[in-house]
Amino acid sequence: MKLRVQLQCKNLHEYLKELSPEILDRLYNHPATCLAVYRELPPLAKNYVMRMLFLDQPLPQAAVALWVKKDSEKDHDQCVSVLSGLRLWHSQQLQGGLQGNILNPVFKDNLRIALLGGGKSWADQGDSLGPDRHARDVESLDKYALERWEVVLHFMVGCPSAAVSQDLSQLLIQAGLMRTEAGDAPCITSAGFQFLLLDTASQLWYFTLQYLNTAQTRGMDLVEILSFLFQLSFSTLGRDYSVEGMSESLLTFLQHLREFGLVFQRKRKSRRYYPTRLAITLSAGVSANSSSTAMGATPGTGDSGFIVVETNYRLYAYTNSELQIALVALFSECLYRFPNVVVAQVTRESVQQAIANGITAQQILHFLRTRAHPVMLKQNPVLPPTITDQIRLWELERDRLQFSEGVLYNQFLSQADFEVLRDRAQGLGCLVWQNVAHRVIVVSPQGHGEVKRFWKRQKSHT
Amino acid sequence: MVMASEDEVSLLVIVVDVNPIWWGQQANREPQFTLSKCLDAVMVMGNSHLVMTRTNKLAIIASHCQESHFLYPCKLWKSGDGHGDDNASTSGDGKYELLSVANDFIAEEIKNLMSRTEVKGNQTDTLLAGSLAKALCYIHRVAKELEAGQEMKSRILVVKAAEDCALQYMNFMNVIFAAQKQSILIDACVLDSDSGLLQQACDITGGLYLKIPQKIALAQYLLWVFLPDSDQRSQLVLPPPVHVDYRAACFCHRNLIEIGYVCSVCLSIFCNFSPICTTCETAFKIPLPQVVKSKKKKLKPST
Repeated sequence: MKLRVQLQCKNLHEYLKELSPEILDRLYNHPATCLAVYRELPPLAKNYVMRMLFLDQPLPQAAVALWVKKDSEKDHDQCVSVLSGLRLWHSQQLQGGLQGNILNPVFKDNLRIALLGGGKSWADQGDSLGPDRHARDVESLDKYALERWEVVLHFMVGCPSAAVSQDLSQLLIQAGLMRTEAGDAPCITSAGFQFLLLDTASQLWYFTLQYLNTAQTRGMDLVEILSFLFQLSFSTLGRDYSVEGMSESLLTFLQHLREFGLVFQRKRKSRRYYPTRLAITLSAGVSANSSSTAMGATPGTGDSGFIVVETNYRLYAYTNSELQIALVALFSECLYRFPNVVVAQVTRESVQQAIANGITAQQILHFLRTRAHPVMLKQNPVLPPTITDQIRLWELERDRLQFSEGVLYNQFLSQADFEVLRDRAQGLGCLVWQNVAHRVIVVSPQGHGEVKRFWKRQKSHT
Repeated sequence: MVMASEDEVSLLVIVVDVNPIWWGQQANREPQFTLSKCLDAVMVMGNSHLVMTRTNKLAIIASHCQESHFLYPCKLWKSGDGHGDDNASTSGDGKYELLSVANDFIAEEIKNLMSRTEVKGNQTDTLLAGSLAKALCYIHRVAKELEAGQEMKSRILVVKAAEDCALQYMNFMNVIFAAQKQSILIDACVLDSDSGLLQQACDITGGLYLKIPQKIALAQYLLWVFLPDSDQRSQLVLPPPVHVDYRAACFCHRNLIEIGYVCSVCLSIFCNFSPICTTCETAFKIPLPQVVKSKKKKLKPST
């Protein structure tokens, strides 16, 4: 049986942790990245940073440990590991020989700049260009962003009308969301289906991560791109910014962002661009992806709130977007279709079909929850428990077998030998399965070495 | 890693005491800590709150002796936001745009407020109760405007400078109980003399009360003690609760009293006895000697 491929979406913290220390240190050279990194810290760690932000001397570690109450020491340890993992604070020897902590000076300076001002501006603002004759208001930007992103999604489900650039389709293939057979047009993979069920913010973040992974192979500077991305996410909606002073690779990046709908640029050669809501909420998807409590689609992107699920497994989707209807149809049977609403039925067969396609129950529920109609959002829990439980149970039906690797020990000569080895394996906690009648035991691969050595010793003794 | 839920909005309303008389005297006493220094510290606090999460919201109310005025969000801000051409934000340094726009407006508003108002002789107390009421109304409004599925935690931070005003006792207590009912924390950061009213407010609503030993370090105190929200406060070691002065003000002369007369009908407090309650107009009968009655009662069972 093929193991299910789960779509893994890292949050910003997990992503940064894997970067090399040099890259991290260079990243903190920009106020926007510092702000973004700061925002993703656990709440307690945020307070630590704030407390130390205006201190120039290192603090003794023992003093920092006394900041928290006794019963929150675990949280404290977690904060310490996160802060050191991201190289946000360094330990330093104090005068009395004590260990002390001090904030990373680069990070500290740039966070101070972001918070209080000073330093130089993040980017040339549109003022140098004078007012834009073709200025865009927030509404048209929202519409534009949504359209662009829908084109990408439509392309993924193979809509003939949706066309994207070579670069983008290449990226989708590299991300594993689509695959291509020689010469054929790319088609969607099971990871792609899972991707479609995410909310917009998470989709964007996942996609961005994939983009970043391939950025270096395109000859782009990771630090430059990340800084620009964070800078975008802290910019003001409805304002124009100038491309003045941007490097060649950054301009290419801007063109890519334009294609996903993260920025609006009237013409390719236009000297100004407008960040859209997608860019600004980009970092919102960063933390929302993993938690099941994340609700509410990206505000203002228009895909929020159109699904009503009833306890009788009826599903009403108030939409006329082909894409959304196709998504709903992934795990339900369509009953009726009207100009503005689709009525579908969630059945055992339809859900199991979806699960066979590699979609998990969690993803279906997440999809329903994030697209829930405002009326549904008023009730708590948002989805009827009967529905959530049943969909989970349908998934479990397929999971009756559990696979675990192991090493088989058999053909014991005596019951005593068998029992000695079995007890030893049990003591080590690596016994997977045993059968006394047939004198057979299965040991997990991790414990195999230890058990084998034990058996050798045992034999040499007797 | 547990992330703070993005759906939880955290609203912080900072009420700053800008009593011109007190700050004028303060400028003479300690020229290194003036109103503008204090507002700087408040802005640092506000900025720090705003950057913590995307969903954090902020309001700042200036509590003057003649009015309570919203410094942020203000009318200027709304109009500037609508047109999208805010010339204030082009300061051109590395500050987060949202913050620099907000801070410019706050500075502008406080300048307007201070130049607009003239201090007349009779009205010198800070209208703190009024500002708190305004804060509660604002919190209520924001709570009503939330999107479905969002939740809000809110708290009020009072930066208190001038003396308490016993005249406001009734209004103050009403505000405190309203806050308690809405489970809104009231924190107090007191610059000068202890405030009995705010001590009670913090004690009742579960907020923190701190009289800071060094005014010049206000920003650091604010960040250190008042920035953590209620969830993080349960984890952190913070200043212990102070001894609360629970004296009430009498309704007749507004004096703080320890022992007084309480109307048995409406619970109004008086510092001296009057035969008719001035609040509910109950006439109290002069207590008769009870001896006769009790004797009768005692006699009955024996016969």
